[in-house]
Amino acid sequence: MRFPALRSTCILSMLSLIHCIPVHQHDRKNVKLQAKTIIVRIREHIDGQNLLPTLIIGDPGHYPEIPADKPIQGLGSIMETINTFHKVLQKLPNKHVDQIRRDLSTLLGYLEGMDCTLKESTNGKALDAFLEDSASYPFTLEYMTLNRLKQFMQKLIDNLDQLKIC
Amino acid sequence: MFFSDVLSCPPRSVFIMLALLVIFIAVSQGLADLNPSDGVSDGVYEDLKWKALLCCDHPVQTLNSGLSEHPPEQHCQLLNATKQQSFGSCLDILCWLEGERENLICNAKTRRAAAASTLVSVSPHQLVVQMDVHSDEANSTAQCVGEETAICSVSLHGGDATVSLVIIISENGTTAQSQKMQVSTYELQRPGAPVNLHYNVTTEGEVIFRWTGTQPDNNTINYEIQYSSNSLLQQWKVLKVKGRSWVALNELSSDIRYTVQVRCQNHLGYWSEWSQPFYFKLDVSYIPAEVFTTQESEVTVYSVFHNRSWSASKAVWFLNGKMKIPESQYRVINEQVSTVTLKMDKAGFDTLMCCLTLGEKSMCSIAYAKIYTEGRFNANITCESEYSYVDTMICKWNQSNWAQARLLYRQYRSKCTEEAEEDTSLVKECPSKAGDHRQCTLSQISMIFCYKFWLEVEGGRGQSFPVYVTPIDYVKPSPPFDLEAITLPSKTLSVRWKRPSLPVYGMQYELQFKALAGMANTQWKVIGPLLEPQAEIQLEESCVHFKVEVRCKDVNDTGYWSDWSNSHISTVFNLKAPEMGPDFWRILQEDPTRNVTNVTLIFKQPILAGDPNSCVEGLVIKHQASGGVMWSNETTLARFHSFQWRKEAHTVTVMSRNALGISTWNRNITLLRQAKRRCVRSFSAVANVSCVHLSWSLLSDQPVPQSFVIEWLDLNKDPEKDVSLTERIQWVRVESRSRDLSLCRRFYGSEEFTLYPVFADGEGEPARYTATRGDPAAYILLLIIAFLSVVLFVTLMMSQNQMKKLMWKDVPNPNKCSWAKGMDFRQIDTMESLFPHSEGLTACPLLLVSESICEVEIIEKPHPLTIENVKDNEELPSGDKTTTDSGLQGDSSEALEASTAAPTPETSGQSSVTYSTILLSDQPSQLQKQQESLSSSSDEGNFSANNSDISGSFPGGLWDLENSNPRHSSSYNSVEEFSETSEPDYEASENTGLAKDLYYLEMTGEEKEEEEEEEEEEEEEDEPEEGQSKNKRVMGVNPRPLLESQNSTASNSNNMSHSIPLYLPQFRSECINPT
Repeated sequence: MRFPALRSTCILSMLSLIHCIPVHQHDRKNVKLQAKTIIVRIREHIDGQNLLPTLIIGDPGHYPEIPADKPIQGLGSIMETINTFHKVLQKLPNKHVDQIRRDLSTLLGYLEGMDCTLKESTNGKALDAFLEDSASYPFTLEYMTLNRLKQFMQKLIDNLDQLKIC
Repeated sequence: MFFSDVLSCPPRSVFIMLALLVIFIAVSQGLADLNPSDGVSDGVYEDLKWKALLCCDHPVQTLNSGLSEHPPEQHCQLLNATKQQSFGSCLDILCWLEGERENLICNAKTRRAAAASTLVSVSPHQLVVQMDVHSDEANSTAQCVGEETAICSVSLHGGDATVSLVIIISENGTTAQSQKMQVSTYELQRPGAPVNLHYNVTTEGEVIFRWTGTQPDNNTINYEIQYSSNSLLQQWKVLKVKGRSWVALNELSSDIRYTVQVRCQNHLGYWSEWSQPFYFKLDVSYIPAEVFTTQESEVTVYSVFHNRSWSASKAVWFLNGKMKIPESQYRVINEQVSTVTLKMDKAGFDTLMCCLTLGEKSMCSIAYAKIYTEGRFNANITCESEYSYVDTMICKWNQSNWAQARLLYRQYRSKCTEEAEEDTSLVKECPSKAGDHRQCTLSQISMIFCYKFWLEVEGGRGQSFPVYVTPIDYVKPSPPFDLEAITLPSKTLSVRWKRPSLPVYGMQYELQFKALAGMANTQWKVIGPLLEPQAEIQLEESCVHFKVEVRCKDVNDTGYWSDWSNSHISTVFNLKAPEMGPDFWRILQEDPTRNVTNVTLIFKQPILAGDPNSCVEGLVIKHQASGGVMWSNETTLARFHSFQWRKEAHTVTVMSRNALGISTWNRNITLLRQAKRRCVRSFSAVANVSCVHLSWSLLSDQPVPQSFVIEWLDLNKDPEKDVSLTERIQWVRVESRSRDLSLCRRFYGSEEFTLYPVFADGEGEPARYTATRGDPAAYILLLIIAFLSVVLFVTLMMSQNQMKKLMWKDVPNPNKCSWAKGMDFRQIDTMESLFPHSEGLTACPLLLVSESICEVEIIEKPHPLTIENVKDNEELPSGDKTTTDSGLQGDSSEALEASTAAPTPETSGQSSVTYSTILLSDQPSQLQKQQESLSSSSDEGNFSANNSDISGSFPGGLWDLENSNPRHSSSYNSVEEFSETSEPDYEASENTGLAKDLYYLEMTGEEKEEEEEEEEEEEEEDEPEEGQSKNKRVMGVNPRPLLESQNSTASNSNNMSHSIPLYLPQFRSECINPT
């Protein structure tokens, strides 16, 4: 072959196509259902906190270890993000968010069942360090995390129909 | 191993054979007893090794075999490398640590390099290295044997130790033994890396980074700290710190994760490894981060904004994220530090957050300060128990969810008792459910035992007041079940239900119900407490289905109300089937695509059965198509029913039904495609604001329909709000005898009404009419235009009068009139002297002479004549005139003079009108009163006259003369309304039998002389008659009545006034009927 680079690119492209799995309508429906359930539970949980509505805890520009306003790029990225949230909820000391964590775990498992491969998180160490730093403030960490998770779930619902493949 | 090596070693061509023997001897001796300086010759610690050069002169003792029991003689010593020439044989000794201070290895080796020249004579056969370890952990000994080299290792058990080292050289039976050399393992290792890295923030906002060194302070010389903000750790910033284990880091940025490492250097110059990395990120720091205080104590907390863009002046503090602390309690320390002081009045756990104000919002970090206030707090613990398959109790509390707390309880047998010391073995934690962190559930409880609950903040940092609960007192029963409800014809709702079997105590009940129809808007009505599981409720109407729910509670009011039971819909009890079906109409909507017509039946609401003992529960729609095909549908009590109709004739009958049958008297409708008969001759509508009156007539040659249906579209319902056509169509049925109908409701005025005559065999041809009602704005506009027209008209009239005033302003003095030439009005006592005509005036209309340039009022009467100015005359009530007394009798000339003076400029504007009034009074006694009235009201009358001009309609008007108060009427009259003012006078005069003659005298130039002559003649003729009749006048003019129609005598005057031109447009003379 005279153009080895081109050949490699073609092969990689073919491989990526082979790896991609189409997302069925039924799967999208179930994912949306689970995401909406999580949103409702988060909303009820946050409402129970009775914090002043004027408080903004954790500006989106801060604490990048927990995804905020992360765009929906693909199911692999979605799973990575959900996994990050799941890790954070696991670290929270109380049982406040057990059900939400279980919901998130269910969603993650469902996506894995769709033959989507969970990527290794790129910021695992930073997240661990952040969780260690924030261990003294579990309630604000929980509040911020749930708010960001709620936003992400909403984005997931809004953009899931655009995802054709895993 | 060494033995095997030695045995297997082949003979060599060298002179020295070394055998190694290693013997381990355990010695119990403390490290403190080992002073390295005791009898220790110099060695050198270098590059984490201990080095020495041991040289021996002569062996002094024969070494038989093994170790000697006697100490060898001192023939060896440690030398510097430069002194070795004077000794026979030398050994290089090297000791170092293996692993993490696990073993100390020492190696003794014949110095070969020097041996070539100086150590030739030294030919030891055997080298023995003996090592004794003295440490805290253990003492041990190792002995190793070799020929040229002897290497020996001793275990240190991981701790620091001092190792004694003795070298024995054996040659030909003689032995040389070195001094005891001591090697400190402490000097052979690197210093440990610093540990416990952390940072503090001062109240000035300075970040102090601290660590703990592993070396004794006197051994540590320097520290180095390196930190990086790069996640790849490629760029380190290194700081050197001497003699202290902290450093201030002032150039850190917020929101960056830093990695920090520290190492130390001991006095030997050895650097430790870098410490484990420490990660930290600066955001908002609180000083102190945790506060332990007591109630009523003041707490001060500092907050440091590490973000330089956050200013402490914009800081705002919140307590528990729920309450903003007043700004008066803040204090700004510097640009980055804010502090707050508050008094903690309640025990428990609280948090403080310092945030940045961003308009109405507050931006906060996740960090917060924690305040633990000593003492027990109120956690508002409430419990409710439940009898079920397993008795349970759910307890909730209401404590700040910022605190990690757990609910503890203890069960007592029978009564609750408060013990000073709680037996902790009996205390258990109430298991909380996932997702609900302020609630826990205890299962398998004992209902009559006592339970003590209290909340404990995690870490024992606070405890709530305990609550004691006996579950039986806090039971929430299960709701009643098996409800039965029936709506009776007697307007009664009868409800029965069953109570839960547990708890067994007596129950009270509450019942709530609401009508099923229109449930969205109806409210529950609650009845209770009821002591029996049944209820009879009186209703306002029958035939209504109700939704019923019941709940229960202990009759002694302990515990809680149960939940409401499942809803139950009442049935309606009927004695018989409905008598009549509903009235209904239809809407036809063509569907051209399917070539069908969608028919929607609209049922008149409410659907009545026609008998109170029967209720309509549903409808039966019976269809009969052409060809005798029949079918029926059953529906509930709906408002509409739709079906599709094709071209054939279709008859629909709607029947009411209930459980006992269907109605017998029903209305039907026949749908036909063929041409419909025309029977309506006319159909019209008249609309006003709130009603439309519809009327129609029928053709006489057509049969009378069974009924009429009037249909229109309700424009009040906005079609853009998805209100369907069926919702918007309104209709009303009118019986066949009616020919008109008034619909009173809100109409927009543009509704199209359609009149459908309904026959037994179908509908007749409809008639349509659009009831247009003008736009209310147009009416208003029309009213405004009309009003403006009136105003314009009045204005024009006023201006005309003003013009006339101006025109007649300069009326010449009557003395200058031709007809008055030579007359002295002051000397004229009677009318006859002025107008000496013999004939009386039978009719006295005033004349309107446009060309007149002067006029005079003459009042003639048998009594002294009173001539008044018109202005004054207006003020004179007619009634009063009848009482005119002799006060005027002698003033007739003055009155005339006043009259003639009226046009002069000195008089008022009103008096400028050149009218004169001739007053006749036969009652002089009343004149005085009249004059008083005049004098008192003349000004008022002048003033009011202008106002009354516009009105034109007053009680004192002509039509009101008979009954009106003449005084009142005069007050509204004016000169301009002279004709009107004179009328009451006239009427009054007539009524009283008096006559007041009002004349307007005018002389034209041509007639003047003739008139004068006639007057003279008339005066002469009339004079004898004057005393006969006061009203008998003879005047040289032809008076014309102003209001001819009102005066029956006007016709008489008309004959006389034909040659008299109009003089003024407004005035009136009173007619005097000479009797």
